Amino acid sequence: MTIKTDVIIIGGGSTGCGIARDLALRGIPHYLVERGDFASGATGACHGLLHSGGRYVVKDREAARECITENAILRRIARKCVEPTGGLFIRLPGDSKRYRDEFLASCDEAGIETAILSPTKALDLVPTLNPTLEEAISVPDCSIDPFRLCMLNAYTSRHRGGGILTHHEVVEVIQEKGRCVGVKARERLTSQVKEIRGRVLINATGAWGDRVARLGGVSVPMSLSKGSLIITNHRLTNMVINRLRPPSDGDIIVPNEAVCLAGTTSIPVSNPNNLEIDPAEVDIVATQAEQMIPVFGTTRLIRAYTGVRPLLRVSARDARSISRGFKVIDHANGMFSVLGGKLTTYRLMAEKTVDAVMAHFGLKAACRTAELALEGQDELSGYPLSKQLSTMDDIVCECELVARRTVEHAINTMGTQYVGDIQHRTRLGMGPCQGGFCTYRALGIMQEIGRVSPDASITILKEFLQRRFKGIRPALWGDQLREEQLIESIYLGILNMGVRHE
Amino acid sequence: MNDSLHDVVVIGGGMSGLTAAIHLAGKGLRTALVSWGDPVCSLSTGCIDVLDIGKRPLEAMGELPEGHPYRLVGRKGIEDALKMFRDLMAEGPSPYVGTTRRNREILTPIGTFKTTCLVPRTMEASQGCRDEHLHVISFHGIRDFYPSYITSRLPNTSFSIYDAGASSTLAIATRFEEEGFVDDFCTWLSGLEIPPGRVAVPAVLGLRNPVSLMNAISARIGRDVFEIPTLPPSIPGLRLFRALKAAFQNRGGDVFWGNAISSVETRGDMVEAVTLAASGRPSRVQGRVFILATGSFVSGGLFATRDAVKEIVFGLPVDIPGPRNDWFWNDFFTGHPIEGSGIEVDSCFRPVMSGLKNLFVCGSILARSEIMKYRCGHGMALATGLKAAKMCERMLL
Amino acid sequence: MTFEHCMRCTICVENCPIYKVEPRFPGPKQSGPDAQRFRLDGEKSVDEWVKYCCQCRRCQVSCPYGVEVAEIILKAQLKYGNEHLSPITAHIFANAFHFNKLGSTLAPLVNRIESWPIARGFLGMLGISGEIDLPAFSFINLERGRRRKGKGRKVVFFYGCHLGFNRPDIGRKIRDLLVSVGCRVVMPRQTCCGLPALGNGDLDIARKFAQKNAAILTKYIDRGFDVVYACTSCGLTLMRDYPGILDVPGGKKIAENTYNVYEYLLPLLQGAGEEGGLGRLDRTIAYHIPCHLRALGIGYPAARLFALIEGLTFHVLDDNCCGMAGTYGFKKRNQDASRRLGVIAAGPIRDLGVDAVVSDCGACRMQLGHFADLPALDPVEIITEAIAHRASGNEARAGGLKNLLNHLT
Repeated sequence: MTIKTDVIIIGGGSTGCGIARDLALRGIPHYLVERGDFASGATGACHGLLHSGGRYVVKDREAARECITENAILRRIARKCVEPTGGLFIRLPGDSKRYRDEFLASCDEAGIETAILSPTKALDLVPTLNPTLEEAISVPDCSIDPFRLCMLNAYTSRHRGGGILTHHEVVEVIQEKGRCVGVKARERLTSQVKEIRGRVLINATGAWGDRVARLGGVSVPMSLSKGSLIITNHRLTNMVINRLRPPSDGDIIVPNEAVCLAGTTSIPVSNPNNLEIDPAEVDIVATQAEQMIPVFGTTRLIRAYTGVRPLLRVSARDARSISRGFKVIDHANGMFSVLGGKLTTYRLMAEKTVDAVMAHFGLKAACRTAELALEGQDELSGYPLSKQLSTMDDIVCECELVARRTVEHAINTMGTQYVGDIQHRTRLGMGPCQGGFCTYRALGIMQEIGRVSPDASITILKEFLQRRFKGIRPALWGDQLREEQLIESIYLGILNMGVRHE
Repeated sequence: MNDSLHDVVVIGGGMSGLTAAIHLAGKGLRTALVSWGDPVCSLSTGCIDVLDIGKRPLEAMGELPEGHPYRLVGRKGIEDALKMFRDLMAEGPSPYVGTTRRNREILTPIGTFKTTCLVPRTMEASQGCRDEHLHVISFHGIRDFYPSYITSRLPNTSFSIYDAGASSTLAIATRFEEEGFVDDFCTWLSGLEIPPGRVAVPAVLGLRNPVSLMNAISARIGRDVFEIPTLPPSIPGLRLFRALKAAFQNRGGDVFWGNAISSVETRGDMVEAVTLAASGRPSRVQGRVFILATGSFVSGGLFATRDAVKEIVFGLPVDIPGPRNDWFWNDFFTGHPIEGSGIEVDSCFRPVMSGLKNLFVCGSILARSEIMKYRCGHGMALATGLKAAKMCERMLL
Repeated sequence: MTFEHCMRCTICVENCPIYKVEPRFPGPKQSGPDAQRFRLDGEKSVDEWVKYCCQCRRCQVSCPYGVEVAEIILKAQLKYGNEHLSPITAHIFANAFHFNKLGSTLAPLVNRIESWPIARGFLGMLGISGEIDLPAFSFINLERGRRRKGKGRKVVFFYGCHLGFNRPDIGRKIRDLLVSVGCRVVMPRQTCCGLPALGNGDLDIARKFAQKNAAILTKYIDRGFDVVYACTSCGLTLMRDYPGILDVPGGKKIAENTYNVYEYLLPLLQGAGEEGGLGRLDRTIAYHIPCHLRALGIGYPAARLFALIEGLTFHVLDDNCCGMAGTYGFKKRNQDASRRLGVIAAGPIRDLGVDAVVSDCGACRMQLGHFADLPALDPVEIITEAIAHRASGNEARAGGLKNLLNHLT
């Protein structure tokens, strides 16, 4: 079957979804094709940090300026995705005072608002901080939910005539007379192949940028590095905590919903698929985080995850110091690639990309993504988190307080095919038991609603459990190891899903 | 300090601890049972898995590795323990059926079949339910049971939903024991047009008299009825635990519930007492003999740090399969190497390398029990619990 | 931070009596460790439903991982109570001590009218349940009459409101039993232990009561007295909450020197009776263990005393909460749940065909006496009856039991 449209976006991360929304608001028909669920690349594997720009301000003033501008915009237009936590850069004994002076001066120049806090004041705000800290500098960092962000951008697209095809992998770029005129995409669940034809293709696939570009007969040199993060059982801090030193491993801790995310590492990889987390990475991150928040050394970790930084290759240097700036490339064959960048500047990246495409079409329509609030936010619960405690009716995921009606809503309205999809949309299964109980329930609900075929249901459950285990395995000790033995006794014991039997 | 002197102090109130405690209290010995909370058997299906190798569990014992705890007990010891269990449960409202000569199966909440050996009578008719039509009854709003899992997997099945006015397994089980409920339920049930065959319900037939409830329903509709165990909270698990605890208390045993052991006193090669961190002032429990039955990780007896495993009461040495990366396979669905970690014992069930003469160990804390791999959890607990108790008895009498 | 250890195993849920019968209560796991991850510093409480927890503490006793479930919920209840206006019943029950004292002073009148429909109606308007009869009050309460008795080991008897104002007869039996085994018993002026205020969301009033008692008790402890309690809820408050959440000066000292009266009597009675026996009583009883006795972690000392009584058949029942839970069952909004639990707890008691139900807790006695329709006794009543029977028989011997008997009449 063939779908005809104007613009085909490959990649459903923040950039791809942002482009879809921008095109929708400018009235351009488009289709978005993503091989997994939304945010299945770097977008869903990052810190969930809406940068103030402080991390880049010393080395890359331009990138920092972009950050702070977008930070303000997103806080305004994405209120239900962004928790205005504020952030601190803390200086511990031994950290360079010179860097601190440069930091303050650079922030000033870049327009990032800072305030210097005494240790007492800092500890008042975040009691779990290392009490030996010498000072803290506050910045307007925020915590952002990347899944929700993508979902809401896609919402606008869907409601204005765009097409969203998640769980469809692009297997071929159709070329005619040396121009890219469409894609063939295989649906993961049914293996059915769809053909989508358009005038322009946008490659917004992040770390897979080069692979997809090659399908279109071009290439973009990339430098891929893996970054692993850990998730704690509960919120140890209500503000983003950064280390006031040149950016290095494990020096960011971000509160996110009811947990904390801490990371990250930087290990060069060549293949963005099938990433493994080395338990040593977990130990590195925990040790660094422990310096900023001491209880990190003994606190319960519920899982680890990893993602690949999609950086443009400039030359062989430490991946961290490559500019986080992005590039929009017109390959002059009907394909555009947007590469590099970060979650915080996704909207700007989308704007520049769509500007380029509009110029190519010879059309004039202004970008409105900064001025209009994201649509579809009204039904979402916002912040602060404690609001969610007011009703406890019919909770399906008890760790994350996800109600049945929320799950049903997610199943019915948001293109859900897998349990992972429900997870991303509702946070089901993202708490301490990591879906131990609620997965069984969510799948049961999906069956009741008729959204999953009988054959698929056990396969989906098994696949989910296997994928879940992968993320838990590197951080299995202490309480979490006990937890895991309990979950095993449920799925292997009570439900009898062990290998020797099915 | 509160001080109690007993003959035996059993540490850990799970399947193996309770078995040992019941046996010794039944022999007239002053027995104390100390437990930091309720055991995980109260979350289980309530069934007794003996060994999941082939159809005949006792005959397959020879296929187990040399160091498996079952080997220490021996076939006769295992049979004795299972007989003791069946006799005990016959004292209460939830008797068990099954034979050690052959495994049987029960239907799970996702429509698979699980191999086990002894089952509560309320699950008797689960065996062979594939051979007839099966009608599953579920309850409106229940979130831990979805009949569609079963009816979409198995042919020749159907389901109906009853509004019990409650949506958790516990609340529904409570309703079942209240006046008039089962009558209304049966009236509704007999009004449905169910094809001939069997009827299954999630395990909610009350805590006190599940068999009489099952029989009452069965009589009303003229069909065999059976329970399907659910995810926790598990009613059959709760029945199992409470029946065993009652058996212990009825034999004059003393329970000290809900506190961790804060310290252990030894003199030379003998354990003298354990101290419980009770509210406000510690409680000291003295004994002539001690049994450690605190279980594996999930039960709380073992605790893993990032690079080692600790036994939390006596600090007994525990071997690990290697550095942390070697503890778990990549596949979620197999038993893992770390599950072989535990306490090594000699043929008398005393921990090797502890130097303590009056300490015995039983249950899933034993090394190489590998419960997930062999599906032998409760059977192994019963068998080692009884054997360890007999060793104690020899020492005391 | 003990909520970190929660495995979500649901063992606490399996033990929660309220979860079985109150659909508005999400259960101890959700109310405690689950919700705790969402209770952020500085945010106002919105979890109104925590009020349904009756603080029986069964969840905490059953947790295998040391999660202080009941404590987490208690703190949430207190925070909510602090930030919101409480219903009038909460204020009444927090100050139950004063109402009990008033009831005792006006006992002849109160006892007559308290079951009149008009009185019940009035109480109903205040949110007080009409399911159970209010207990009768005694004018000659424990504040009146003899406050010091006996010679020997120095003991302060913290008798609590129920014995103090409603059942002073039981209080006196306990006092006399202590005296008979060689104790010098003092019953000083005391006030409410503070638990009703704690259970009704008022930390300040609870602390005020507790501080008064702490001042009195520590003075006696410093003079070499041991403190004993009979009501297990008072006991749990003294042992756990005084050094804990109430944080009273001397709280730790009190906890270290306070004993359950049967725990205290056990070594003393084991010696006093002949050959370790404690008399004879041909009766069959159900011994219902109060939830708070389980929570104390001292085992069941009264049961060990019963084991010394010849001819006594007693069944220990510790699986069910009676549903009264102090003031909980007296509130209209909990009436249904409390009644259902009372019926559930009474079931096994009735099935056993016993001639009485025994419990250390006054609330359990009221509830189970009503639902099992049996006499409801304190353990001391069984013990003293046994001693009296045996000593009055032909086998009475000099010393030992006879001594006990002399003191008990």
